[in-house]
Amino acid sequence: MDYPKLVATIPSAKYPELVDSLIDAILTTKNDDKMLPNLASTILHEWQLDTLETEEGLTALLEASFLLEPEKTLAAVEALQLVDVAEAIRQVIPPKPPQKS
Amino acid sequence: MVKFGIEFVPREPYWKIIYFAIQAERGGFNNLWVTDHFNNRNVYVTLTTVAIYTNKITFGPGVTNPYMVNPVFTAQALASLNELAPGRVALGMGAGDKTTLESVGVEMQKPLTAAFEAIEIFRRITSGEAVAYKGEVFSTAGAKFLFKPKGRIPVYVGAQGPKMLEMAGRIGDGVLINACHPKDVEYAVTCVKEGVHQAHKKLEDVDVAAYTSFSVHEDIKKATKAAVPVVAFIVAGSPPQLLERHGIDVKKAEEIKEALKANDWGKAFGGVTPEMINAFSVCGTPDICTERINELLKSGITQFVVGSPIGPNVREAINLISQKVIPRFQQSP
Repeated sequence: MDYPKLVATIPSAKYPELVDSLIDAILTTKNDDKMLPNLASTILHEWQLDTLETEEGLTALLEASFLLEPEKTLAAVEALQLVDVAEAIRQVIPPKPPQKS
Repeated sequence: MVKFGIEFVPREPYWKIIYFAIQAERGGFNNLWVTDHFNNRNVYVTLTTVAIYTNKITFGPGVTNPYMVNPVFTAQALASLNELAPGRVALGMGAGDKTTLESVGVEMQKPLTAAFEAIEIFRRITSGEAVAYKGEVFSTAGAKFLFKPKGRIPVYVGAQGPKMLEMAGRIGDGVLINACHPKDVEYAVTCVKEGVHQAHKKLEDVDVAAYTSFSVHEDIKKATKAAVPVVAFIVAGSPPQLLERHGIDVKKAEEIKEALKANDWGKAFGGVTPEMINAFSVCGTPDICTERINELLKSGITQFVVGSPIGPNVREAINLISQKVIPRFQQSP
């Protein structure tokens, strides 16, 4: 996915709520091993500077959240009615493993 | 004014801990302690990252032990960290956990002597001295750093038993008391005072910290549920005298211990009673936690450490503590 392009479609008024949801998804994940070290560094750097609620910060959070928790990420963007972003995620979201009957 | 500390366990990846560390620093915490167990990620790698990403919080291992990590290595690590973050480093040194040490084949010999000697070696070598030391547990033959250590690093002694607490008062710059209940903390502070008296110091010279198992949430049930697993392990590891002091049935504690050994989490956690929660954790809403901290302050503590689990959601819990607990202790009388 082209994360910067997706973030550019998000109204800045929705940044705080989306950032909050994505951070929560990232910090409560059990899929820690899916985090990319460079992405973690970017997020921590933006957090250190208190600039997570910027295009750059949100881009890193969206990418990390999608890698770690695709379903929660989709739910977060849907809750904010970010239709284009939700559609982009739906197209690439990994299929759920089949449930045992 | 009471200081607030926070504990992190590097079973979590570094990026989660660092996020929380930055959050805690902004939220008014003064101290950050990282646990040191061989089966988690390395404490000094975690602390190095803490040093890089924070600006004012004081941090250190909370606590390390001299059996797994030779005090010379501990001194080297802390002196190096003190170059990265001058004046913000503290050492937490205890005797270690017998079960953990046994699992790696290390015998916990003379814990009191080992901790005493380790602290002695630590202090001397971090002051730049060539240390020739002949102790009962540790010895060095002129060990000296090839770099110049900067500044004095305060030493906090991790203590629970009366003798270790007394020693902490005697030789420590601080003491990390592993207790949550006013009865236990009061007793511990009495022991610390004895050591302080022996060393002709004042109690104010020692930072007395209650290192607690803590859980906060606006919903008391959620706060309690998060505390249960930690309390189960504390109960299982507590001596009968301590359990009896809190009116806890030793038999019930034994059942929890057996269930934990058998990995029967349902039985172990289901056996945790409200009395156990009350004795071995500070948990509840921000108001309840504030009240509990106030009770502990009467015992003479000067630092309150928020330990695992912190809350059902760590980020929310840090926000709650920063917004609804810490400010109540910063208001002028």
